[in-house]
This record gives sequence, C-alpha cells and structure tokens, in this order.
Amino acid sequence: MLLADFGTSYCKILDTAGDGSPRIVATRELSPNFRADLATGHNAGRRSLQSINELTALARGGRRLIGQPDFVLLDCGSRDIKFVRAAQDRIADMGWNAECGASMGFTIELLGNYYHLDFAAVPVPDRGFPVTCGVLGMSSIFDAVISGLSETEAVARFVRGIAMNAYRFAGSPERLYLSGGLCDNPLFVGCLPCEVVRLGRFVLLAGLEEHLRREGERSP
Amino acid sequence: MPEEKIGIVGVPPLAVIRDLNARGCGIVDLDEPQVHSAIDLSAQYLPRVYCAILRTVVLNAMHLSLDGIYIDVGPGKCDCALHVATILENMLKVPVTRTHNLDDRAFGTPLCRTRMPLFDKFMAITRRVQSAAPATDLAPCPPTAGFWGVPPRDFSILSLFPDTTHIYGWTRCMENKTPADLTLEMHVNPEVPTVFFAQSFCAKTALAHHLARLHPRALFVDCDVTAGGSARAKIEAFLELAGVVSPER
Repeated sequence: MLLADFGTSYCKILDTAGDGSPRIVATRELSPNFRADLATGHNAGRRSLQSINELTALARGGRRLIGQPDFVLLDCGSRDIKFVRAAQDRIADMGWNAECGASMGFTIELLGNYYHLDFAAVPVPDRGFPVTCGVLGMSSIFDAVISGLSETEAVARFVRGIAMNAYRFAGSPERLYLSGGLCDNPLFVGCLPCEVVRLGRFVLLAGLEEHLRREGERSP
Repeated sequence: MPEEKIGIVGVPPLAVIRDLNARGCGIVDLDEPQVHSAIDLSAQYLPRVYCAILRTVVLNAMHLSLDGIYIDVGPGKCDCALHVATILENMLKVPVTRTHNLDDRAFGTPLCRTRMPLFDKFMAITRRVQSAAPATDLAPCPPTAGFWGVPPRDFSILSLFPDTTHIYGWTRCMENKTPADLTLEMHVNPEVPTVFFAQSFCAKTALAHHLARLHPRALFVDCDVTAGGSARAKIEAFLELAGVVSPER
C-alpha cells in the first residue's frame, strides 16, 4: 500500500510492502499520474484514493512516536505551521496557521539558497526580527542589509523571529516535539527557546500508518 | 396597502414580534446574508475589522428597501449593535427602533437537543425568531458533540458536525427566546466534546475562549466572514480525534 504526505515543496512516500524506509520527492518532480492509497497533505484529495486531515495525521503520528500522555508537537511545513497538544492522552488543543505562518519553511529554504548559507554554520543570533510570516518578514532582511547588517546576520535574525513566532503559536511549552523539514535546520532548532525533541519529517506518515492500524482493528 | 417590510437585528422582544405578526409585516432577518453583494461594500459605513454579522446587517440595510428596523441593543445582543443602530439611523430614512430584550419566559430548547442536521437546526432556530408561536415538541437525543456560540456568519461549517450535536450558548438562548439569559448561555455539558465557536470581533469571543479553557473536551475556533480551510480542518480533526462520528462527505 502506498502512503503519502503530499507537502507543498516535498512529498514523503512510504510503500508498506517495501523495506519500511520512506522516500522524499520534490513535489514539482512527482509524476502527475502518481496516486497514493492513503494520504494527507495539501494535494491528498486529488492524488489519493483516501485522504485524512493533516491535524488528525499529526496527532496520531505524534502519539505513536512520542508514546507519552502529555506532549506538544509542532509541525513546521513549507507553507504552514500546525500543532497538537495532548494532555492525559487526549488531544487538548490544536492549531493550524496557514495564514500568519505562511510560507515559513519555503522562505527559509529560499533565503538559504539565495544567500548560499549553510544553516549549520550560522550562529544563533542574540535577537530576532518581530516577524510573523515568511513573506512579510523578508522586507525586514532587506531593510537590515541596507542599514549595514551582514546578509548572514540578517537571515539569522529573520529565522529567530520565525522560530519565536512558531514557538508562541504552539503555546510556549517547556518541551517541544518538532516535526517537518525544519527539524534539519540547526539554526531554526537552536533559535527555539525550549527543549526541542526532533521527530523528523515522517510524523504524518506515522499518522497514516496508525490510521491503517486502527482501521485494521475495526475490520472484522 | 402593500405589506410592510421590517428588518430585525438580534432577537427583538416577543411583544415586538407579536405586533409585527399582527400587522402582517414581512420580517427580514438582517443578521443573515440576504443580498448577493460583496461584504466589503459595507466598509463605507463600518470598519472592515468588525463583527461580520453586523457588517452583514449594514450590507443588507444598504440594499433592501425596508420600511423600518428593530435592532436589539441590550444585554441580549451587544454593544456593537448599539453603535450600529446609530449608523443605521444615519444612513437610512426609515425608523430604526432600539430594543432591550429582557424577556425571561422560557420557550424551551427542543431544536437544540434533537437529532437533526446541524444546519437545519440553525435554520429552524433563526427562523423561529420571527414567530411568537410556542416551540414544536421534538424528542431529545443523547449528545455526541456540542456547538457553543452564536449562529455563525458562514453556515457551511455546520455540515462538519453529526446530527446528534447539541447546541449551546447564545443560539440556545435564541431558541428559548431569552437572549439575555447569561446563565443559559454559559451552560455546557463537560462530558460532550464541544466546539466553542467565536465570531471574530464579537464580544462573546471572550466568553467562548473562557469556557473552552474550563471545558475538559473543548476546541476554540474563531472565524470571520467565511470559515477558512484551517478552521474547518481543526473542527474535523477535533471531532475525529474525540471519537465523534461525523457525517459522510
């Protein structure tokens, strides 16, 4: 069975009959004919036989991977951010910000490529720009560079601002489980002012697996 | 003599509704979209960052040929309506009558508690504001989900809920014909997974947030003119994760 998390920039695909390793394909390189059996994400409705809501997949994947009754899990995608908070094994709160979290991951990747930055080598800045969204925040970078700040420092402050925004969106927890592509960005992770547990890019796929398991339990 | 067309905002007192019914007036609920025009047209009278229900009231009033308006501005509605009454008075050449509905005779809440598509329940409750007739007897069903709040500007979110959803909050007060009954408005069932709906920029947003914080199985949702994809996804996921069976889509 083919499971897929159809993200805006990258698709994460798992063949349950394979070796258990998911693969990542850039969305723009995915064949237009590709169809999954079960999927989540922006394009799941038109690219799969069955789709489930991203927040549901995130919550189920989080429960499966974290295995604790209480947690806050933040997923930072290319286009949006979303979180679920579990308390006493129940989902107590959730949020999905497709507007003010707009294009966060996408913008950070774009800036890294444009300025040729290695985010592993960029130190965490001592302050950030007060930005709430990738698109609107870019003008802060340009203004800072014009006023004499280095491009690297300006981008770092932008990333810190974005990270703080995401952290507050998730309710400012002491421990934050992080999922999505930004798990692989050391600068972003370093800018989060709390303990961060990185779960990687396949949490939504784990949610789909969990969905299958539950469906299997329900079947006679 | 042609029928008088009277607009109402909120829930005017029963005495007003009885009088309008006795005079054979046509009643138009200005809280609901009645015209196919862009809501931004109301911006010449009201700021864009304002309650979408009251922006709809102004939009309707701009386009409908009304003979008068009854607008409730007391504790059964909101302070924003008080100021909108002033604006309506200024923009229209027809009488704008302010009311303070303090009716306390309970008509019952059978629609809020019966098994029926949530959309239909809301339609029936909002229609009943125009009538002084007693409530129809409907059998209650055990609740599997709850919707707390005012009737949303965008009814499309109601299709996400199962037919066994009970209605709480001000909408329940509407059906009971006691819109200023704060005790009834604050009534919730802690056993039932409940969506606390807030119409953006409405004063009741604070109460929705407060009650959601105290409720053990709650989701707070804030929507403006239309419910976006994230609001819909939150409701859908909340109900699914709470084990509530939603309608087939």
